[in-house]
Formats: sequence, structure tokens, C-alpha cells
Amino acid sequence: MLKKHPLVTFIFFGVVLYLISNRLDELLVYQGASVAIFVIAIASLILLTGYSGQISLGHGALMCIGAYAAALLRIHYNAPVWLTFVVAVLAAAVGGALLGLAAARLSGPYLAGTTLALAIGLPSIANKFSIFGGEQGISFDIGLPPASLGEDFTQYKWYFWISWSAALIAMYWLRHVLNSRYGRSWRAVRSNDVAAELAGIHVGRNKVLAFTISAGLAGLAGALLGMTISLVSPGVYPLLLSFSLATGAVLAGVTTLGGVMIGAVILVAIPEIALAIANRYGGSETIITNLPGLLVSGLLILTVLLVPNGPVEQMHARRAKHAKNGKASHSPVELTLRVGSKTFSTKK
Amino acid sequence: MITINRRKLITASAVLAIATLTVSTVPANAFNPNMGSDPGITATTIKLGITSPLTGIASPGYKKIPGAMKAYFDYVNANGGVNGRKITLVSKDDQYIPTTAVAKANELILRDKVFALVGTLGTASTKALTASTQLSKRGVPSLFVNTGWSGFADKQAYPTTFSILPSYQMEAKIIGKLLKDQYAGKKLALIYQDDDFGRDALAGFKTAGVTFDTTIPYASGSQALPATGAGWITKLKAAAPDVTVFFGVSSATTALLGASVQGGWIGKTQFIFGSVGGDATTIANSLPALVPLLRGSKGLSFAPAPTDVNDEYIKLFQTIYAAAQPKETFDNNVVAGMSNAFLAVQAIKAAGKNLTRKGLIQTIETKGASLPHPFLTPLGYSTTSHVGATGYWVGTYGATGALTPDGGKYTVYTTDSGTGAVVESTYKRPAMPAKGLPN
Repeated sequence: MLKKHPLVTFIFFGVVLYLISNRLDELLVYQGASVAIFVIAIASLILLTGYSGQISLGHGALMCIGAYAAALLRIHYNAPVWLTFVVAVLAAAVGGALLGLAAARLSGPYLAGTTLALAIGLPSIANKFSIFGGEQGISFDIGLPPASLGEDFTQYKWYFWISWSAALIAMYWLRHVLNSRYGRSWRAVRSNDVAAELAGIHVGRNKVLAFTISAGLAGLAGALLGMTISLVSPGVYPLLLSFSLATGAVLAGVTTLGGVMIGAVILVAIPEIALAIANRYGGSETIITNLPGLLVSGLLILTVLLVPNGPVEQMHARRAKHAKNGKASHSPVELTLRVGSKTFSTKK
Repeated sequence: MITINRRKLITASAVLAIATLTVSTVPANAFNPNMGSDPGITATTIKLGITSPLTGIASPGYKKIPGAMKAYFDYVNANGGVNGRKITLVSKDDQYIPTTAVAKANELILRDKVFALVGTLGTASTKALTASTQLSKRGVPSLFVNTGWSGFADKQAYPTTFSILPSYQMEAKIIGKLLKDQYAGKKLALIYQDDDFGRDALAGFKTAGVTFDTTIPYASGSQALPATGAGWITKLKAAAPDVTVFFGVSSATTALLGASVQGGWIGKTQFIFGSVGGDATTIANSLPALVPLLRGSKGLSFAPAPTDVNDEYIKLFQTIYAAAQPKETFDNNVVAGMSNAFLAVQAIKAAGKNLTRKGLIQTIETKGASLPHPFLTPLGYSTTSHVGATGYWVGTYGATGALTPDGGKYTVYTTDSGTGAVVESTYKRPAMPAKGLPN
């Protein structure tokens, strides 16, 4: 159904989320909005790493760019909320394109180092210019929900709706992009860039494009995060956030978009689970503070050992194997090229 | 890629539909049990909540605050509570990250259902959690926030928030008076953090009519780089000021002292440290060897010195804290936490037996300025302002980093955050209630 009628499926998910949001308490609604934000942010990282084969440890900084753009537009021009998000995407995409130009020439640890430097350095820029409000940041107030939604409609439900609408639209659009010529080109570049180039794919251009789109999505997530806490400041987008996103992407499975929900839910749920466990065993402050990190690290190790490509990819692989035994499976397009004694292939 | 076959989709839809229906059958207000009276209060208990950095960069020093508050609340509880109610304090760790502070404040308000927040720490975190959790719309009192940003005293913008620290503007104005009275005609330098915190101070110096011969701004966070501290010393060497005012955070003070050792530039200027940067405990936590270098420098405080055993509050707090946390040292952060808890208890007592959130806020506005408290300056609470302490006394640091008042007694100066004059205060705080208890 998702393959044949993706739009129907996404609308169906939207309706289910709407019904759920009406029945959850406020805290869960707030956490639900956080899940939506992580869905977008992790998806942006998966697009970059899993599909185009580039690494970013600085996605928090790209989120930061989007958030400042949205908040400044709101404060100085009182722009409508939807427009602030559009501008957040564009601003972060421009930042991503610039970074992508450098990134296309780098790979592996050098690229990781460059993006890490961005995550560390960007907050200093926010402190340097007074327009960004320094350490205390600037407020990002989208205002009260429309009166037509009723008096009982809480602010957090409003955030939930906005975040999930953005997440569903972004995922729907991203799914199309990844299934398009661009998505296929990126995968070819990731698998073997020399083979891809010989097949007529412009590697550099494709890498920059992937970085740009990924950054745009990160900018959207950043603006949404700023919205839910009503503040945009360097402290909201710390290095820790960039690392959490990378963790979420690994838990989700970096090579497929399907697991993105798993990664997002785990990131939001871990502190809750840790709290429940800690309370069961006496509620010691040391346990409450340190358990989330321990749980995440444990899960990371287990994921890398048992399902290195993520749970969803693993499920697909098992099903493909199963299908192969039963009936002939359709194999993906593979490209093999022989130059002299060397063989290049897009096959993994 | 995402591939779901028809059978799987039907199964998934069925599960989702059942889940949705199940959730739908629960009455909506089942999640909202506190429809009548305010949350977090019963005939015998009051629940308060704090979110502050227990781990992370800002935790050294500050992490003692919730423990100190709890020590005082436990002391009150052991002696009958306040108006017959015992106080529990729910403490959360926000690591000084605004996003986490919002999440923790949400947990405190929506899940733990605290009656009020007390002593949240950090300007950015407090701003974020106040706006996002909509404290004013919910009517949740936010008592005595631990930040000197003058904005929190603004009743219009923050109707349920009360500050406790004097504002940075007040502090700068009082330093300005000190410079005019004691260092007239001397060469002056200023190092300040270039953000809201430092700019608040600049505004205060301007009001005080102080002109510095040299000003050295620095970006917040840049003090972590060795070149920053070295740069200050180079500039100071060139300017050779008689007096240098330092308006930054403690980690910047550490950088300054470290760089002055490396640059061989010790004792060449009279340092005056703002109250935030002059926290010897925090400096000792990162580099204890630097603490003796504070000796002879000037500093400011509005609470009695932690070493002042002649002060009845300090004596009481030391006894309570030694029993509750025998392994921890008693310092200015402990005094801050216990004073905060003390004032909260007095406010709750004054609000009476029929305690409500609204009633508590009104009580602090109308009676807050006359409540007993440990501070040496008047409190500024009124129906138009939510400002706490309104002044400072000036002292000199000893070799252990302890600040003792100049002239052997506390000379308190008081002022406002605007253009009001700095005057020597004749204020005498109310006597401490018997045993420091509310009843």
C-alpha cells in the first residue's frame, strides 16, 4: 500500500496521530512533538550518511542555523509561522550547500572533523553578534493556537500538530526524492564513486546536493525544536545534540529511512525508561543521572553487533531471503564495469 | 526502502485502530485529576520542584544548591512543617541545557504535579522553561530564580516569577560608587562578558558615570581557549591600570588568574570581581592552586559571609547542613540554597493555611518585603516589582577565597536597576524566628 498509494498511507498516519493527540496527557503530547522533531533530524542524517555516503557530526549546528533564521524573521518582521519554517529550511540549506562544497572534497575522518568543527564553532558566532542574543539567545514565540480550535486546545497540542504535519510532509517528500533519479545516483555514489562517475553521474554535484537537502531538513527540525521550547540559543543546540542524532541514526539503521521512527522514539523514551528503572531501585540521583547514557551506549553496542544495518533493514533482508527461496526475486540494478584488469561495481 | 505488503498493512492498520479506540474510551479528564484545588498540595504536604545543573559544565558549585535546600526543608519538616504541611522537594538535573530544562520543568509540572517551582538556575534555562511551559498561564509560582538578569523582576513579562539576586545593573552601579569613592583619579580597566550579562553591567557603569581607560570585552565561552586569558594579560600589561574590574563568570576568573601567573603579572593591579565571577568554590573546583591569588582582591555579596559564625543565620545553617551533608563543605552556594529555601518557607507560612498558587503570589507581592530572611539588603517585592535583594556589601578576599567585609562590618549599599542613586543602607533585617522555624 505504501508503495502503491504513499499519499493515502501518510494521510492515514496523520489521522491516527490526530486521534491519539486528543487522548494523551500534556506531557506525552509534548514528548510526541519531540519525537516528530527527531524523526526529521534523524531522517536528514540518514539521507546524508546512508544514501549519499557522507558523514556529519555537526547536524546540530545546521539545526541552529535554521532556528535562528526562523526566530529572527518572527521577531523582526512578525512573519507568519509557516513562512518562518520555510525560511529555516532555505537558510540551513544555504549553510549546508556551503559546507557541502567543502565536504565534496573530503571524506571519512576529515569530513567528520570538519563538521565537528562547525558544531563547536558555530555557537561562538552566536555569541559574537548581538543580534543573536548571546548566551541567553532570542525568544521564538509562535503565539497561541487559533481560537477556532477551542479553549481546551493546549499550546503543546498545537506544537504537536505543527511538528507532526511538518514531519509527515517532509518524510513524504523525502521518500519521493530517494526513489527518484537523485536517490539512485546518491546510492551509486555511496557504493562506489568511481563506478558511478564512469556511469555518467557527477559525483561532486550529487554530494553537494545531498548535503544541501539534508541541511534543509535539519534546519526545519531546528526551528521546530526552538518553537517547542520558545527559545533559540547556542545552548539549545549543543555538541551533545549532534551526537544524539548520530546515535539515533545508527539505532534506526543508517541505510534505510524505514527505521527513523524507531531511532526517534528511543531517543525520547530512554530517559523515561531510565527514570522508571531508577525509581524501582530506590530513585538514587546518581542512577537517574547516569542510566540514560548507559542504556543508549548498551543499545548502540547491541545494534552494531547484532543488526549493523538497523532492525528494519535486517527485517527486509530476512524477507528477501525468504522470498528468494519461494519465488524469483527482482534484483536491484547493478552496474559492473571492467577497465583493464580492474573491476568496478555498484554491487556491495 | 520501505516496503509493506498488503497483509502486513492490514495487520498494522488493525493494531493501530484498536489502539486508537482503546485510548479513545478513556475519559479525557482521567489524565487531569486535579480539577478542583491546586496541584501539589494536600492538608499535610506541599510538593515543590527544582531543575538545576547537577552534572555538566555548570555543575561544580551549583550542584550543591538542591541538597542545601532539601537540608533546610527536612529541618522544617522534622519540626512540624509549615502550617502543618511537610515539604517535599523534587530535584531534576538539566545539565544547564535549556532544552533539557524545559523537558524537566514539564515533568515537574505535568507529571510530578508540583505546587511551585523554586530556585531554577541559569538565565537561558529559566527564560525557556518559563515561556515554553507557560508558567503564567498555568499560574505556577516560580519562586526565587537563581539568576541576576533584571528582566525576571518585570511583573508584566513574568507575572508568576520572583527573582532573588540583585540585578547586574545594581551591582555595576555599586562598583561604580566604590571606584569613585576609593579610587578617584586612578587608571581603570574593565574586562566583561559580551552578552546580556555583561551589557547589563555596562548599562549600570554608564548610569554610575564611570569611564574606563581600557575596556576588554570577551565572547562567552572563549575563556576556555588559553589565548583569551593570555590576550587579556597582554592588553593589561600595555595599559597598566591601577584598578581592573572583572565582570565575567567563574571559569573566566580562573582563566584570568591562570594567565596572570603564566604572564608573570601578579599583584600589579587591584582586581574587583563581580559576584558571579568571584565564586571561590567554583574556582577551587577547577584549579585549587589559583584560589590564594584572589587574596587582596575586592568582591561583592548580599548574603552574610559563609565564614561569619557571629551571624545567627550562618550559625543555624552550618549546624543543619553539617548534620544533613557531613561530607560536604559549607560555602556560598550552600548559603544561597538554604536562604532560598528559608524565604520560600516564610512565604508559604505567610500565605496561610488555605494555601493556593494565586494566594502565594499575592502574599509575596504584598508581604514579601517584610518577611524574615538571611540577606543583608532590603527585599524589593511589591505589587509592581518582583525584584529580590536590592544591594551589596563590599569585601576583601583572603587566601582561602573567603570574602570578609571591609572595615570589619557589613556596609551595605542599596540601589535600583534604573537611574536611582546608590545609597548606604540603614536597613536592619527582621530578627530570625526562634530556631529559624516558621511556626
